[in-house]
Amino acid sequence: MKNSYSDLEKLKNEMLTCTMCGFCKNVCPVFLDAGWDTGSPRGRMTMAYGLVTGELEPDENLVNRIFQCTQCRDCARRCPSSVKCPEVVLSARRELVKRGQAVETQMAVAKNIIHTGNLYGDLEVAYPEQEGEVPLFIGCQHLSRPNSTKRNILLMQRLGIKPRIVKEVCCGFPLEVMGFEEEHEKQVERLKEAFSFDEEPILTFCPGCKVHLEKISGKKILHILQEINNRLAKEQIAKPVNAKITYHDPCDLSRGAGIFQEPRDILKKLGCEIIEMKYIKNASRCCGGGGGILTWDSGLSERMSMARIREAIATGAEMVVTACPTCEQTLKKGALKITEENGNKPFPVVHILDMLFKATKQSHLPS
Amino acid sequence: MPIVEKRAKPESIERIREIVGTDSVRTSKADLYVYGFDAGMHRSMPDAVVRPQNAEQISQIVKLANEHDFAIIPRGAGTALCGHNTPVAGGIILDLQKMNRIKEINPGDLLCVVEPGVICDDLNNALKKYRFFIPGPASSEAATLGGMVAANASGAKALKYGATRDYVLGLQVVTPTGEIIRCGTRTLKNSSGYQLEKLFVGMEGTLGIITEITLKMAPLPEKTAACAAAFKELVEAGQTVADIIAVPIFPAQLEIMSDICVKAVNKATGLGLPECGGFLLIACDGHPEAVKDEIRKVKEICEKNGAFFIDYTEDAKRIEELWKGRKQMLASLSVIKPEFSTVMLADDMAVPISKVPDAVKGFLEIQDKYDIYIPPYGHAGDGNLHTKVLLNPENKEHWLQAEKAVREIYDLVLQLGGTVTGEHGVAISKAEYFKKERADSIPFMRAIKRALDPKNILNPYKIFDWDESFLSNLRYPVEFSKKEA
Ligand SMILES: Cc1cc2nc3c(=O)[nH]c(=O)nc-3n(C[C@H](O)[C@H](O)[C@H](O)COP(=O)(O)OP(=O)(O)OC[C@H]3O[C@@H](n4cnc5c(N)ncnc54)[C@H](O)[C@@H]3O)c2cc1C
Ligand code: SF4
Ligand code: SF4
Repeated sequence: MKNSYSDLEKLKNEMLTCTMCGFCKNVCPVFLDAGWDTGSPRGRMTMAYGLVTGELEPDENLVNRIFQCTQCRDCARRCPSSVKCPEVVLSARRELVKRGQAVETQMAVAKNIIHTGNLYGDLEVAYPEQEGEVPLFIGCQHLSRPNSTKRNILLMQRLGIKPRIVKEVCCGFPLEVMGFEEEHEKQVERLKEAFSFDEEPILTFCPGCKVHLEKISGKKILHILQEINNRLAKEQIAKPVNAKITYHDPCDLSRGAGIFQEPRDILKKLGCEIIEMKYIKNASRCCGGGGGILTWDSGLSERMSMARIREAIATGAEMVVTACPTCEQTLKKGALKITEENGNKPFPVVHILDMLFKATKQSHLPS
Repeated sequence: MPIVEKRAKPESIERIREIVGTDSVRTSKADLYVYGFDAGMHRSMPDAVVRPQNAEQISQIVKLANEHDFAIIPRGAGTALCGHNTPVAGGIILDLQKMNRIKEINPGDLLCVVEPGVICDDLNNALKKYRFFIPGPASSEAATLGGMVAANASGAKALKYGATRDYVLGLQVVTPTGEIIRCGTRTLKNSSGYQLEKLFVGMEGTLGIITEITLKMAPLPEKTAACAAAFKELVEAGQTVADIIAVPIFPAQLEIMSDICVKAVNKATGLGLPECGGFLLIACDGHPEAVKDEIRKVKEICEKNGAFFIDYTEDAKRIEELWKGRKQMLASLSVIKPEFSTVMLADDMAVPISKVPDAVKGFLEIQDKYDIYIPPYGHAGDGNLHTKVLLNPENKEHWLQAEKAVREIYDLVLQLGGTVTGEHGVAISKAEYFKKERADSIPFMRAIKRALDPKNILNPYKIFDWDESFLSNLRYPVEFSKKEA
């Protein structure tokens, strides 16, 4: 069993369909960082092929390259032959984890989820349960920021959305992207026990949760911005933002869920002038926070976020707005790092929900 | 020429580390494995991957290679299609992707100067604001300028805008013995002796390592108009091509598709092109008035030759839509037989323009004879025809069947007075037929190689020095005995 890559073998056809054209190279944030072909999607396809044919061993360098992928999926978008490179990477990760190749930091995250149901291993995080009309899945990231979650829920109420909140556990997405197959399956079971998928649609704050919940449940999961965009009217905006902003599309929200117009519509309603970056919508560049890379290679993650912040600064906008808690945090780190280098004030990174909360604060609507 | 291994030994690699720094040398198995592949069908493993930063370092490495007798394969993005980058005798891959500075853009002198690792699309993005461009291959989003010069790449616009060779004004090159030389000029004209800069065009990394390129720029056209036309018979489409060029009108692009291709595009994209025997896509560009006049004439010629469907537009969005189908051709073709893959066999033949219909007809007959998929399409305006062989790459019989078909295709192309490679080059995949095609010039090419590279260091055993079958060193999981291949 140890030497047969049965999981990866199933994707051999993807590897043979890959024409090695290299069109995926210059969209991959990892390749763009260091420029070695081994760090490109094409390189990862080739290494996976080497594992399947038995020509390659999972040595340190190979393992590193397989885990140095943010699962941003831009390679799959660009591929003219519709090759599913991100899936091949995930399958390779499952194979490697089975062989004991996960590192301490990743195992720590996995253990957190398994033992506490929460990404950060925080037993305390829970939002007070409440009755309501629409089921809401808050997600680990937002749960770990109780104040901002409170504001988000207030915001929903201002817009007439009555969320039903239960004690939830992690959706299991981090386990899946890091390659913890068994643990992921068990987590999904735990989730299905804790959280009912009977009623649709389910709302969520987190792009990753949106994509993953949809995948594991087959149910309709709405990202909160979809609902907000339907409800937000001019008169609900007490304090228009009136700023020049740029918008960073989170990978899971844009490429993953096809949601890139809604946040822009909302930003326009808020009075923002959007100055677009070079890479946007479904061709957006990863912030450096996806695919477990934060724990695998924090230096690489930091360089990616710096690259994205530089792109944002180049637009001449006053701030970058995003719609994902991971993107927000990662980009903030990148902005700080740039500050360390140039001594300027950190470039502001704002979550769209925070912006919405402030702009609708003095609304006459109930809050 | 029989292959003698030219491996880089650990002590040579150690010396290289001293030259370029430890971080710029990779020897892990995964790195060597990955760099053993490129976009072609072949592969084998190098002994190290080295990323130099400048010509001086490259010169030192080349001198070391002469001293220690190991091979050097210069490499750009690795998008070449014929085994160009395959280290058949071992040695080191010189990855030039990080030498990627655009050094100068000089509209007044109509030139720009770049390092070899600059990507074609990146250069064109930079040139756009000056309203210039360099015509690139279909792989322009990945291919480097160094690779384009070394392969004399050209694209769909070659009829009007020429190939990479037409843009090379000057080069800095590290020779196979390690000297750093400059050839060519910064002038648009030069009659100063041998045009050495052109000698390095299309040399496939066998004669030198290009470290700087001075390129002429073409003016970005102000306006583009496009015309799509469907014909019952492929010959009518072919005749239309010949008539357009005979006017003379040089469209920026003139693409031909056979019925299978139209069906494949429709199936994959839902574009709804009319089912027909032959389909033409034509684009004219330049000054708005001239474009208007040209495309009108093109339309009339299509009508005269019996086109039953004509779509004509100056709207940029619609033009983009029309080309979408053509651009997705490769991906579309794999939809015909999802369990098959496209492989780089007989991928870019060129014939005299008037022979395009004969060639396409012949290819289709060969396809039927061998019961394999070889859909032809191509840049009819410059006689360049692409085919894509679709097969199961794990099935030996498929390969052997395809080999027979490919041989017939090549024979037909040579019979029609064409070349087995209009765009992609020779390296390994085309070597056998190239030697037939260019029999009388091969001794001269060899003499140049021997004189400049006496130790056979740079990308050895390629082009005229490749004696084995085009099915050897395949990257697919299938093996042939010597007799079979
Ligand atoms: C999908 C696809 C479409 C393509 N379409 C076209 C097309 O329309 N037209 C066309 O002409 N080609 C086409 N190609 C082939 C290929 O992209 C071109 O030949 C391109 O110019 C290669 O550039 P590269 O940077 O990838 O070079 P590589 O593949 O890295 O190298 C190509 C050759 O050049 C040599 N070389 C590279 N850099 C240097 C240097 N600095 N000094 C010396 N030698 C060097 C290498 O040794 C090798 O022999 C296509 C390829 C793909 C995958
Ligand atoms: S994964 Fe797709 S884009 Fe990347 S090299 Fe393979 S075929 Fe090309
Ligand atoms: S998913 Fe993103 S990071 Fe991973 S290989 Fe593809 S482009 Fe690179």
